[in-house]
Amino acid sequence: MSSTTTVTRPTEPSTIALPIEPLATDFAKIYIHIHPFLLLSLYIYRFDAIVGDPVSTLPTLLVGSVGLQLVYILTCLPPTTAGTKSNPPMLAKIGLKKKRTKQNEQGYGDKVIPAVLSLILTALLGVPLIYIFVVLFGGPLTTHFLHTFFCAAHIAFLAVLPLVYVFGVDSGRWRELAGLLIPLDDVVGGALGTVFGAWVGAVPIPLDWDREWQKWPVTIVTGAYGGYVMGKLLGGQILKGKVIEI
Amino acid sequence: MLPNSSSISLLISNILIPIAVLVFATGFFPYKPFIPGLATYQSLEYGDPPEAPFDKVIFMVVDALRSDFVYSVNSGFSFTQSLIRSGVALPFTAHASSPTITMPRVKAMTTGSVPSFLDVILNFAESDTTSTLAHQDTWLAQLKAKRGGRLVMYGDDTWLKLFPETFTRADGTSSFFVSDFTEVDNNVTRHVPEELNASDWNAMIMHYLGLDHIGHKAGPLSPNMIPKQVEMDRIVEQIYHAIETKSHLKSTIFILCGDHGMNDGGNHGGSGAGETSPALVFMSPKLKSIAKKKQSPTVPLSAFHYYTLVEQSDIAPTLAGLLGFPIPLNNLGVFIPDFLPLWNNGNDRVQLLLRNALQILNIVKMTFSQQAFDNPFAKLDCSDPTSSGTELACKWRRVTDIYRGMEGFKPKPESILPALTAFCKSAQSIMSSTASNYDVSRLLLGIGLAGASAAFALIHMLLDPKTITISATGTQYSLVIALYGIMMFASSYVEEEQHFWYWTTSFWFMYLGIVESRHSQTGLPKKSLGLLLFHRIVVRWNQTGQKHAGAPDIAHFLLSYPVLIWTLVISTYLTLSYFVYRDYVRRLTGDFERAMARLSVAWLSLVAIFFKFAFVARDAPELLGWFPESGVEWLLLLPLVKLARGIFAGCFFGVLWLGYWEGMHIRTGQPAALAQSLHNLLSLIILTQTRTQNIPLFFIFTVMANLIARLPLISFQRTLSIILLTHTSFFSLGNSNAISSIDLSNAYNGVSGYNVIAVGILVFISNWAGPIWWTTTSNLISNQSLALDDVRRKTKENDRRNGKNWILREREHLASLAERASDENVSPSPQEPNKTISTPQQFLFIHHVALLTFFTSVSLLAIMIACTALRTHLFIWTVFSPKYLYAMAWCMGHHIFINIGLGGLMWWVGKMDIKTKKRA
Repeated sequence: MSSTTTVTRPTEPSTIALPIEPLATDFAKIYIHIHPFLLLSLYIYRFDAIVGDPVSTLPTLLVGSVGLQLVYILTCLPPTTAGTKSNPPMLAKIGLKKKRTKQNEQGYGDKVIPAVLSLILTALLGVPLIYIFVVLFGGPLTTHFLHTFFCAAHIAFLAVLPLVYVFGVDSGRWRELAGLLIPLDDVVGGALGTVFGAWVGAVPIPLDWDREWQKWPVTIVTGAYGGYVMGKLLGGQILKGKVIEI
Repeated sequence: MLPNSSSISLLISNILIPIAVLVFATGFFPYKPFIPGLATYQSLEYGDPPEAPFDKVIFMVVDALRSDFVYSVNSGFSFTQSLIRSGVALPFTAHASSPTITMPRVKAMTTGSVPSFLDVILNFAESDTTSTLAHQDTWLAQLKAKRGGRLVMYGDDTWLKLFPETFTRADGTSSFFVSDFTEVDNNVTRHVPEELNASDWNAMIMHYLGLDHIGHKAGPLSPNMIPKQVEMDRIVEQIYHAIETKSHLKSTIFILCGDHGMNDGGNHGGSGAGETSPALVFMSPKLKSIAKKKQSPTVPLSAFHYYTLVEQSDIAPTLAGLLGFPIPLNNLGVFIPDFLPLWNNGNDRVQLLLRNALQILNIVKMTFSQQAFDNPFAKLDCSDPTSSGTELACKWRRVTDIYRGMEGFKPKPESILPALTAFCKSAQSIMSSTASNYDVSRLLLGIGLAGASAAFALIHMLLDPKTITISATGTQYSLVIALYGIMMFASSYVEEEQHFWYWTTSFWFMYLGIVESRHSQTGLPKKSLGLLLFHRIVVRWNQTGQKHAGAPDIAHFLLSYPVLIWTLVISTYLTLSYFVYRDYVRRLTGDFERAMARLSVAWLSLVAIFFKFAFVARDAPELLGWFPESGVEWLLLLPLVKLARGIFAGCFFGVLWLGYWEGMHIRTGQPAALAQSLHNLLSLIILTQTRTQNIPLFFIFTVMANLIARLPLISFQRTLSIILLTHTSFFSLGNSNAISSIDLSNAYNGVSGYNVIAVGILVFISNWAGPIWWTTTSNLISNQSLALDDVRRKTKENDRRNGKNWILREREHLASLAERASDENVSPSPQEPNKTISTPQQFLFIHHVALLTFFTSVSLLAIMIACTALRTHLFIWTVFSPKYLYAMAWCMGHHIFINIGLGGLMWWVGKMDIKTKKRA
């Protein structure tokens, strides 16, 4: 199975990065649509258990979610070097001149190593970083450590893992992401959707309905999963290639 | 500048806001008309009113005496409990309706009426003549009108304000310092022995404040609570023994009661079970004949409900019967039936209740127009009463039917008493719920006016399209307004409004991070991340709202480390003093002048810091535990009023001097920054009006304001930042939408007598300290010169180092946008030669005001519609009415006086700054 990630390039040098194109395999074309709903179904299936006991359910659910996410990045996404090709001036500027080899053929080895590295990076950097942000956005600091930790882990493996896989350690791409100077696609849309959804997830917490599911962090994780699906739909399909105006 | 149509529509919009607020308020908080004059006995077939068993009353109010403080196992009232056990005391739980604060409760107990919500406002403006009961019928007035009637009063001076020139002897105490647990009560107790010996009075009123203070300070479980209860119990014992032994007191009814209760946090004002359930005990040896021996201590039937539940307003008619005077005209209370056995003759009992019923009927007739009240033959369908008026008419018809059936003879007590009781009870409950009193047409008119205000603000924006742009900022501005409006319809979001502002502000800072990232060299939005971090600290400073009231927060954490809190407080003061000092010194050149400036600023700062110490020594001495004892004693000697006046006067003269100096030196071309200097002096006043543990917040605010000022933002983004931060700061300082969170501790700084305007202003400043601070900062952070300088410098550096790339282009584009905007704004631009380089973008005040006005009028509109639509909602008096009171303060106080008045002044001054800079 050969991919064609390097074929169509606009002739004039582009100043803005291109959206990430999913791999052109038949499986990828189908699975990229099924994946968010698989994740969501898994989440809904485990929802009652999460409400009942978040600290023990969230980690087991995390295993399933990470598994699905790995399937998604391995089968549907081009690993990091393919993504960076679209933006050589950036690399030049920050002095990260990588030796670039033409990669028309990508074996599983070429994908598995970036995937494993992404997994490690997400776990070691992404989760703590998201944890800090969850706290900055109002999450509890002195209590509920495990609740917040697993909440952050879910957000990180939904939003950050695919980003690390396609961006790698290309600081230029990350910087574009920080300024939202990046076109929407399946990966970026999913990531933004996750973060936005997690933020919106805080809305029902103050209501006086006194339901179990209002407790930290159930609504946040629910918002993250919902936002992931919505973000993928919007970024990967409807608004693909558009840059968010700020 | 000639006024054009767009500014006129903005002006109209702003004029309409206060009108709408007031019109709606008159419909929503109707001023209850009361029947003037004193009641007299009307002649009845029953003859003269029955003889009264008592001729004197001792009315002992213990502020916030919750039912369980007297009746439960963990009570200090062991003597009172022994009286209940021996059957000479009748215990009740007296339901106090919301608002559970002292003045409305005293009104309810003395007039028997149910005070309107308006009394909450009047509670804070106590000297207002409309709130005195001098011209109303109360049991005090009735007792004074009796032959030889003389009244004495000791304790809370609320009574003296409510009943001017009523008392023969009185000694009022005011509750300036909530930390005063003993002095306020000793001041009452020391009068007790001499008054018990005196025989010239027929009513003695005592109002003890200490127990309430303990509650406010440390809650109902405070270690001081039981000793205080024991102290109160000793006084009960002392009085009861005097009644038993002294002959001139033998016919005295002794009442011990609370005016309201308290919640688990020790506060009151709302309608929680704890707050609405004060104790009520009637004591006299004469009650032995009627009182059944009751178990005491005992367990409550439901939360805080011990023994029989009565209404607080029932006290007035019961006293009327027990002491033999006509029931006050506006009374809605019902004679407590437990006392009826005091009269052996059944007809006397009927007469008591009949007079009660006729008096209530008089009020009922003023509200309901049913003919059946006057004409016992009028047609009346009682099979299914549809309105509350008909329901009452039917209950009254039962009474008249019984009398008609007797054909001139008196009915048997057992047949007529239940009918009378039924009528009185339903009249009480129907008339007490003021739902029928809304003036809906006024409510709708208020809504219409608020809607018109919003429409005019919108017209202004359409006529002046630069105000609002279709952009991410515009979307967020609109979303904030829309979500805020929707939120007003959900009681929990009104109670927990702080979450909305904390939540939107954190998102906004993330958005600013994206903007900043586009302009920063590394792409790392350091300033916005800093803002997010400080925001997180700010929102945790004070736990507010209802749901998690009392949860741990930074302020309470700090309170247990006094040295740490003082370090932070003094650092904040010193930083501010340095700013003030810098403002003066850079305007002065001579050594002597500079030395003088140094001296006066140092003096002013010392006065301000010593005021805080002296205040804390009285208000929260536990924070000075680390301080040498002699030092605390010295602090207690410092004159607080004079110190506060010294601060205010110092700031005032500081402002005068600055104004004078600027007037003289406008052409010298020094970087004036008069606005900054005024803001610093105002900050000193704000710190004076802020609770000690909140003072470090203003240090954080200062850092945040500086970070925002250095962000590359357009003025719309600055305005939205200000809207979000004014609200965030309001709640982070511990305020909420509940009456109980109003901070009165700094209401009397520098005020010695009672001056309603001064106290009102001081209360407003201390509660809106954050919003006022951020409003006066808005002008400073809107001066974009800092941000633009930053951008330009970096652009140039980049230009030198690299070729142009898209980031630079983007940056240049933004910088040029900002410059273009500034060209449009600064008035004499065509003559400016160097405009592309150094014109700082002037903050367009009219755009700023337009955005604030639209936000204010739309949120007002939403609150009004919510209050109207939900006026029969269960929480209307506890959630939505207080919210409307807060909305009144936000619209009239904050928007009109601060946003436009003070903000306008700062902008005008800021304009002078910019002109000065240009000449430079």
